[in-house]
Amino acid sequence: MAKYDVVVIGGGSTGTAVARDCAMRGLKILLLERDDIASATTGACAGMISSGLKYMDEPNIVDMCSDEVVNFKRIARHVMEKNPIITPLLEMSDISSGGNFAEEYSKRAETRDVPPVLFLTPEDSLKIEPTLNPDLIASIYFEEYFISPFALCMLQALDAKQHGADIKTYCEVTDILTKKGSITGVQYFNRITDKMESAKTRAIVNAAGPWAHKIAALAGAKLELRLNKGAHVILDRRVVNVGVIAKAIEGRMIYLFPHENTVLLGTTALDTWEDPDTLVASQDEIEYLLKSMEWVVPSIRDARIIRTMEGVRPLIPTWKIPEGDVTRGYEVIDHEPEGVSGLISFAGGKLVMCRHMAEAATDLVCKNFGIEAECRTHIEPLPGNSDDVDILALAKEYGVSQHTVERMRARRGTEIVMILELTRDHPEWKTTICTCEPVIEAELRYAIRATFPQTLNDLRRRIRLGTGPCQGTFCTFKAATILAEELELSGADFQLEIVDFLAERWKGKRQSIRGEQIAQEELAQGIYACVGNLDQALERLDYDLKPWEEVL
Amino acid sequence: MSEEEYRTVLATLKEEAIYPYTEDEMQVVKSVESCINCGLCIQHCPVVAAVGLDSFSGPRSIAVELSRSPPEYWTTADVVYLCTGCGTCREVCPKDVDIPEIVNLIRARIFKHRPDLVPKQLHAADAIIVEHGLAFVPWEDPEEKVESRNMRLERLGLRYVPDQVVKGADVLFYPGCQAEERAQEVKESAKIILDHFKAKFTLLEEMNCCGLPATLLGDDKTALELALRLKKKVKDLGVKMLVTTCAGCTSNLARIAERDAWGIPVYHMLEFLVEEIGIAKLSSAFKQSTEEEPLRVTLHDPCHLIKHTSRITMDYAGQILSLIPDVEVTHSFAHDSCCGGGGLVSYHAGDVARAVMKENLAAIEETGASRVVTPCPLCTAQLEDSLFRQGSSVEVDDMTVFIAQRLPQKG
Repeated sequence: MAKYDVVVIGGGSTGTAVARDCAMRGLKILLLERDDIASATTGACAGMISSGLKYMDEPNIVDMCSDEVVNFKRIARHVMEKNPIITPLLEMSDISSGGNFAEEYSKRAETRDVPPVLFLTPEDSLKIEPTLNPDLIASIYFEEYFISPFALCMLQALDAKQHGADIKTYCEVTDILTKKGSITGVQYFNRITDKMESAKTRAIVNAAGPWAHKIAALAGAKLELRLNKGAHVILDRRVVNVGVIAKAIEGRMIYLFPHENTVLLGTTALDTWEDPDTLVASQDEIEYLLKSMEWVVPSIRDARIIRTMEGVRPLIPTWKIPEGDVTRGYEVIDHEPEGVSGLISFAGGKLVMCRHMAEAATDLVCKNFGIEAECRTHIEPLPGNSDDVDILALAKEYGVSQHTVERMRARRGTEIVMILELTRDHPEWKTTICTCEPVIEAELRYAIRATFPQTLNDLRRRIRLGTGPCQGTFCTFKAATILAEELELSGADFQLEIVDFLAERWKGKRQSIRGEQIAQEELAQGIYACVGNLDQALERLDYDLKPWEEVL
Repeated sequence: MSEEEYRTVLATLKEEAIYPYTEDEMQVVKSVESCINCGLCIQHCPVVAAVGLDSFSGPRSIAVELSRSPPEYWTTADVVYLCTGCGTCREVCPKDVDIPEIVNLIRARIFKHRPDLVPKQLHAADAIIVEHGLAFVPWEDPEEKVESRNMRLERLGLRYVPDQVVKGADVLFYPGCQAEERAQEVKESAKIILDHFKAKFTLLEEMNCCGLPATLLGDDKTALELALRLKKKVKDLGVKMLVTTCAGCTSNLARIAERDAWGIPVYHMLEFLVEEIGIAKLSSAFKQSTEEEPLRVTLHDPCHLIKHTSRITMDYAGQILSLIPDVEVTHSFAHDSCCGGGGLVSYHAGDVARAVMKENLAAIEETGASRVVTPCPLCTAQLEDSLFRQGSSVEVDDMTVFIAQRLPQKG
């Protein structure tokens, strides 16, 4: 049986950060993820490396967030972007409610290389963002950094791997083994091989997010979380020039943030006891977001919604206060005092804190092990961030369109040279597979070979396959063919792969489908049902409808 | 709320390559929201058909990929300058996506913010427009221009109708840069036609470009300046309508006349003939043929008429040709396919423009016609050049010239 120093459970932003930190400090690491990297909470977030704007009442957390932004700029600039953000003020009462935000934000602005909070006239505001309600009386302007959460997790996982960690996706922990109150190992079901497997370990870091309490329970430890769900509505393109923040119907803060080639409208915050796996955005959540944003961006209801996504936040369990008042700090819980030695769990936290959380947990692991090792995760760059990338020169050298190369760069930085190199032997791999983003065949092949995806959905997280306005209408069958060839899938599995991916896309589309997206869906159904006959193949394929596919 | 604060914001926007869309631009981009990625436009795009998707990723990619993330506008420079702007994509689009306008919009962004990515030949073309207010360097010696004109008149057997500038005339004849500086026979023919039908016409005191080439290369500032200069001249002359012989000018003048509220209609010569002179007058106007054999002719439809203005103009062209004795029209299967001369592509990518033309050439040869007629001096030049390179015996006539030649000579 394989022996590890630490088993990390969970492949989200925190889990991959822990694996990276531990591996960089010389520990032997196994990361177990029941699905894919960044497939749950992290994958449903807006990607904001927040300077802490919502938590100005917690200055120590704002300090930490601000420092982490600086760290990310050092290690992951290639997968980040800076968004200017406008908060239009429609009435005088909107001004007073800003609190000490401007002061707290501005204090730390310089270290992040952003201007202090600025107040803009209505005229200037409208020049920057003509979609704003022209009745605004002023606007607050500031800047925030954003990161691709999928890229961040994948790069952290790959870096951990390069430092010797074993990363296993589709491995669900079924039991935690203890001896005399100490962790000795884990048992897990490997969904790829369909086999139970196990590993020995001295410690477990439980980064299972909204499932962390269930993992703790496997070791007989107690962990409470306040689970809170949030929905995003995803628009087909950048319908706003900059980010826009507004007050929702009950006074919460909601936003429109440009994200990659789309805009995210988010988010809701509702305490939840539903199964995170099958959770979908509700009509109430979609309407809440549209209604609230409509006051400041009146045209938002006319924008094309391509899908929604829903995630669950594992908040620190503070009860009897509104969600917004729960601290956005995190807790690292050592379960030793309750008699489970070697188990460390997380509660709370934000995307921006994931590296910091990992450092704290790894410090604790090292302390428990009696090891002295310095954290270097904030100094050493993530893969691909070693240098600038000359898009024009690479596009010319390899004969690939500049836009394709630039989109690729935004995912992999300097590593795109390895992708482009594949086209030397296979010029036909310059073919565009996903025409929305765009993604060429070489990038698909490279992602399959180098970043351990098992499904088309995994590829979606790695290269944004099927995330554009057509939502997989035109790339699914092409990508499935390539995946089937690379992974040597059977004919039935190839078809199942297509159906599964379309079902996953449908999960996000169904709740919000309207307007042009209905025309798009007709086309998709025409291709896969009428032409591909996949609806007829379902029975033969032994396909079970997903919970969100059930016809009412 | 100081100016300084706003400048700070602009600095960030520049650094992040965010150049806010104006409300007008937003409307254009908004049309892309309807795209369902069906790919019909790719199947019909003449540039894709000519050079393949690997060289030109096609209208869908411009609509879907390239317009979604404005900060990446600069990465599109290797694609958008290969679009000939023919407008076929917009015509076949089931969702009315305005792709040609998106191309103009992206080109304008690149011209303004990343001029280093604009093909250098287009910068040279822009310099000429800015300096002379014309798409071509004007004749250095006016005498030589007259000599060239006379040679053309003689070769084509056309009479000379003197230039005239008349305030309060009914019709302003606007030749466009090509007919003014190069294909002078087109301008002369237009005057012959107007004179024949006794239209009270005037020319401009000083010709200036309508601004279409500036728009196409992305120099919106110059395009607007030229449009406003032209409006002033039109207003000063107090004419009732404008007639032009160039397809590009027709579509662009119609657009800016509406945008800038000129208050007069813009006609192509063919529209003027059918709608203002009338078929009845036209049918008795043409002289009898002296040829033994009927002349076999095929038509080429300029994109700027059929796809940017109205298909009806080419119906008029057919009607007019049918009135001319001993002219037999054979339709080419590629009659409405782009000649490759649009979008300023031929300025910097002659190979692409010629590849686009290729299909037309084969189709023209197949008709067995001995002459191609087209109501646009630019298409005429592009077709003439390509047919000549191919060693074809087929001749090309601008339709205005073709008509003028068939009106009876008078003193």
